[in-house]
Amino acid sequence: MASAARRELLVARDDERELVELARRGDRDAAEILLERHELLAFRVCRRLLPPSEDLDGAVQETLLRALKNLPRYAGEGSFGAWMASIAVNLCRDKLRRRRLVPFQPLEVRGDDESDPLAVIPSAEPNPERVAMARQAMQRVRRELVRLPRRQQEVFVLRFFAGMDLEGIATALHVDVGTVKTHLHRAVHRVRVAAEEATP
Amino acid sequence: MNITHLNDAELDLAVLGEELPPPAAEHLASCLVCRRRRDGVLAVVEQVRGDDPDAATRARVREWALAAWGGARARVHWLRWAAAAAVLVVLVLLPLRTGPASAPAPARFDAEAVLTEVNSVLDSDPLAAVVSEEVVNTVVPVPHAVSDRSVAAGERSVS
Repeated sequence: MASAARRELLVARDDERELVELARRGDRDAAEILLERHELLAFRVCRRLLPPSEDLDGAVQETLLRALKNLPRYAGEGSFGAWMASIAVNLCRDKLRRRRLVPFQPLEVRGDDESDPLAVIPSAEPNPERVAMARQAMQRVRRELVRLPRRQQEVFVLRFFAGMDLEGIATALHVDVGTVKTHLHRAVHRVRVAAEEATP
Repeated sequence: MNITHLNDAELDLAVLGEELPPPAAEHLASCLVCRRRRDGVLAVVEQVRGDDPDAATRARVREWALAAWGGARARVHWLRWAAAAAVLVVLVLLPLRTGPASAPAPARFDAEAVLTEVNSVLDSDPLAAVVSEEVVNTVVPVPHAVSDRSVAAGERSVS
């Protein structure tokens, strides 16, 4: 009971530095709360930077474990989320390098059947033509994403899939904000053109 | 009347959610076509992002990481104790190992002193180096005075 109350108190804390400090000292509750807050980011990053043949859950587990093991190295510069993103991106790079894969995904990308293609076209009548068009748009964007240069792909995934801001992305990738902007603009342009070509 | 819609660069900015130049921002606010273009792209991107993992999957992955982390911490903890114990054992055993070395060293063989002693014995009785004085006296009994003189001169023989 006391443990549950303590956990509630920890959850209510906005200052993550305190949670990080507690987790560093081996506090399991603090570590768990940190993971709960940022694990989704790890899922989203790994999902889009790794090929579908890679074990997604395994990659996320590894990311979370690396984050916990390396807590003593987290100096507090940037948010914990950015730090976690950095670990996830590096893990994906390591895995791709080890497998000697180019960071491109095949066309049968993960989660193709999970999405509702109708959502692509706002307020559209659900007729077969529109559904097909929406599917095509998603395929085109996926294809374009995996064709992007690695850095542009990482920046795009962190911005649009992990929902990070420019500063966070810059911290995660160890580059300056200007570089992030440049990569992001190039990536967005290519993705937008691909999406619009499929949905005239 | 010609309507100037957002150009590519402005549309990219709109997709990114960045600040547009005032005329472009005003246009976007009032133009359904441009808003649909922007929203269409964002909708496709959102769909491509896909669904997030369910709560059970998240919990399973999280628990695994926490358990592995706990195991790693316990291993480090155990290793620290093992290292401390090993150091303790070494410290305890070190004096035992070095014990014999610290015992009094055997007296050194003083060759010079032995030679001096041998020389003095030979000078007084050369046969003493071959047999004991008792044997010599038994085989060749001689008076002490003569014996001493003869021995000094090397004239006596045991054969």
